Amino acid sequence: MTADIIQPDSAGTPVLRIEHLTKRYGTFTALNDLSLTLNAGQILGMIGPNGAGKTTTIKILVGLSRPTSGTASIAGVDCVSDSRQVKRLVGYMPDKFGSYDNMRVREYLDFFGAAFGIPLGPRTKRIDDVMELTGTGYMKDRFVESLSHGMQQRVGLARTLLHDPKFLILDEPVNGLDPQARIEMRDLLIELARQGKTLLVTSHILPELARICQQVAIITHGTLRAFGTVAEIGRLVSQQRTIEAHLVSAQQVSQAADVIRNSMGPDAEVLEVHAEATVRFRTARPEEYLARVLRRMFKEGILVSQFREVQTDLEEAFMSFTNNQPTEALPIEEEQTGVTSHV
Amino acid sequence: MFKAVLRRELVTPLRRPQMLLIQIGLATVFGVLIAARWPSDGQVAMLGSRSQQIFRLFSYGLLGMLLLLLPVFPATSIVSEKKSGTLALLFNTPLGAGRIFAAKLLAVLALAGMIIAMSLPAAGACFSMGGLSLYNEIGKVYLLLILVSLQYAAVGLLVSSFSQSVDAAIRITYGIVLGTSILTLGPHYFFQGTGGRLAEVGNWLRCLSPLAALISLTGVGDLGGQGLSTKMNVMGGFTLWSLACTTVVSLWTISRLNHRIFDHSRAAGTMSDDLSTSNQVLRRLVFLVDPQKRTRGIPSFLNPVMVKEFRSRKFGRLHWLMRLVAVCALLSLGLTYATTAGTFDWGVETIGGIMVVMQVALIVLIAPSLSAGILSVEREHGAWQLLMTTPLSMTRIIWGKLFSAIVPLMLVLCATMPGYLIMAYIEPGMRLQVNRVIICLALTAVFAMSVSAAVGCFFRRSAAAMATAYAVLLAICGLPLLFWMGRDAPFGHDLVETALTFSSIAAAFSVIEMSGFENYNLVPANWWFLSIASVASLIMLPIWTYRISRPQ
Repeated sequence: MTADIIQPDSAGTPVLRIEHLTKRYGTFTALNDLSLTLNAGQILGMIGPNGAGKTTTIKILVGLSRPTSGTASIAGVDCVSDSRQVKRLVGYMPDKFGSYDNMRVREYLDFFGAAFGIPLGPRTKRIDDVMELTGTGYMKDRFVESLSHGMQQRVGLARTLLHDPKFLILDEPVNGLDPQARIEMRDLLIELARQGKTLLVTSHILPELARICQQVAIITHGTLRAFGTVAEIGRLVSQQRTIEAHLVSAQQVSQAADVIRNSMGPDAEVLEVHAEATVRFRTARPEEYLARVLRRMFKEGILVSQFREVQTDLEEAFMSFTNNQPTEALPIEEEQTGVTSHV
Repeated sequence: MFKAVLRRELVTPLRRPQMLLIQIGLATVFGVLIAARWPSDGQVAMLGSRSQQIFRLFSYGLLGMLLLLLPVFPATSIVSEKKSGTLALLFNTPLGAGRIFAAKLLAVLALAGMIIAMSLPAAGACFSMGGLSLYNEIGKVYLLLILVSLQYAAVGLLVSSFSQSVDAAIRITYGIVLGTSILTLGPHYFFQGTGGRLAEVGNWLRCLSPLAALISLTGVGDLGGQGLSTKMNVMGGFTLWSLACTTVVSLWTISRLNHRIFDHSRAAGTMSDDLSTSNQVLRRLVFLVDPQKRTRGIPSFLNPVMVKEFRSRKFGRLHWLMRLVAVCALLSLGLTYATTAGTFDWGVETIGGIMVVMQVALIVLIAPSLSAGILSVEREHGAWQLLMTTPLSMTRIIWGKLFSAIVPLMLVLCATMPGYLIMAYIEPGMRLQVNRVIICLALTAVFAMSVSAAVGCFFRRSAAAMATAYAVLLAICGLPLLFWMGRDAPFGHDLVETALTFSSIAAAFSVIEMSGFENYNLVPANWWFLSIASVASLIMLPIWTYRISRPQ
């Protein structure tokens, strides 16, 4: 299956360049021919289901893994052959914090500053700066293992920024944060991009990514399925529009779904949401067909309160790409939510 | 519900492939021991002396195995559940604290039973050779083993309920096992026959040791023997102590198994720098180096990994090191002074013996806790991949970690130097012996550190790394003493000497000419062994580190 790839705007300097990156573990292909570029000062959101190949990509970029074939470079430095220099260019924040017992936050940052070879004088100032930027100054005397998850995420970001890297790789930075902390983290990432840093962010919280990312890459089964701005990806998806019909009674949901299936043919993806008395379907057919569907529903005595096109967002795009996977898709029954999906 | 907890507690360790290896290993060791001494010429001694000799060795081996293998299971039982959050889920079930404790205790006892059961065919073979009483010898030894299992399982669970980390629980439990089974023999050895109150205390203290109880059951000349006999019923004393200890400790643990076990507020991060000047001065006087004072940045000339290791270890902080060194120095000087002043009628060899025992015990206890987890702690906490993304070279990381273990060990060794110097001053003829003892101790420290580091690097979890390192180290240092206990019969002088060559404790004892070891010439063969094993371990460490740190 070919990826729907939109290359980013050619203006600007590419900081990240990935070309035909492939990683195989025996017969299993974790990453298949991934190619993308990212310009300086941009934020790339990498999304995909668990096991899609996001972490494999990140590990190759930070020198923790070697690709089977293909190349990756950051600011012109090859991630494989010159991984030592890449370490100075990249700030990596894994999804696991990586704490030490009995160490206070300032000591923790001091250790990583020293590990990056920052001399003592500038290091002290740099620690103050990153603590102020990430809002961790008030917890400098706390023990790192006693911090809450949100605090640890902030300290993790402060650690990532210590050596002033050009390129930041943040694995699930907003995972487990409360709404307030999430907003603060979002603002912080935007501020870092404004300062000229290039960011690669993975997350499962798609509305967050949609708000901050200039570029989005959707990966499933190790394959890049879409790459571009949120709007561009939305346009790709909207060739298949999502239409939603709200019914007056939930008892007519199944009946309405049958009408849609009969009218649209076997290519229609129909989703019954009994709890919301709603039927959703995806189609690439023109307006006349939709009008025909609505008329048949009226004829069948189905009371429709709303019939409208649903705006395509990142979540929608993600679901669209992940549902159209290379593997054979099967009907999904979810009894608890009352949702039946036919793909 | 109770059965479910018991089943889970028992099945989880049994699923591990290591458990199968341990079972096969135990059965093989016991089988080989019996097969080696089984009569080959169709004649059996009428007095059954051969079967008694074998059974003696066999029972020491079994007790040793139990003391090495068992403590790790109760020590990790509660704290690991607390860490993973499943203890809170258990408290949320209708099970009471008593039933949770009982299930955990029974599971550990079942594991102990399994270890003991591995020895039953060998014990049966001993019995069939004749000369052994089923009740007075075999039965009582097995009763002792059951009591030991019960006591240390209960103690391990109590320690586990107090500990905040798995490795601390293991360290403290093994410390208690080492202290109660070996160190309690010390006072009796040094004060027996003096007739004073100290001799009485030493005699009673001996009842806390399962080793002393086993010695009394098998009638072997022991470390504390010196040809003197006592009327004390050591086995009876140990039985009482063991049952009382188990009861008290069990009730204490049950009382701790409730929501209060989680009731710890997050550390507020209080710093002495924010206190008043008088408080700061007071803290300075108490601690000398105040642990709550803000630390300065790591100087560029120091290895950051080494400093990090010191700061992230509870006992790595300077105030703890100073306390440890001060206690060692005071004890060694105090002992030497007491002899010089004529408080005790001890020879210089005896003082040397005490100091050697204390130092080796300290090294064996400290070294694995310092170096066994140097890689596994990083991997367990997810910090290893962070270290790999820094420009620090692997060599620098390993050296930083090894130095952080070498420095405290060197301090402990140096702390007792004044004692040895005074000893050499009192008895100038002992200078050569003192020099050789110091070399023995220094090599023991290097050996303990490097072997622990090499053994520990194979594990992902620090608890497994530390427990294995303790077991390996105690086995290398302690198991050859089993051969020494069977000296003259069934083992000849040469075989015992060869076995003792591997034990750094025995080498130090022979150098200081401690009673029972003076006839064995163990150096320099022991030094060669320690040096080669240390170098091999130090070569293995970077190879394994490279293996886990290279890009996948």
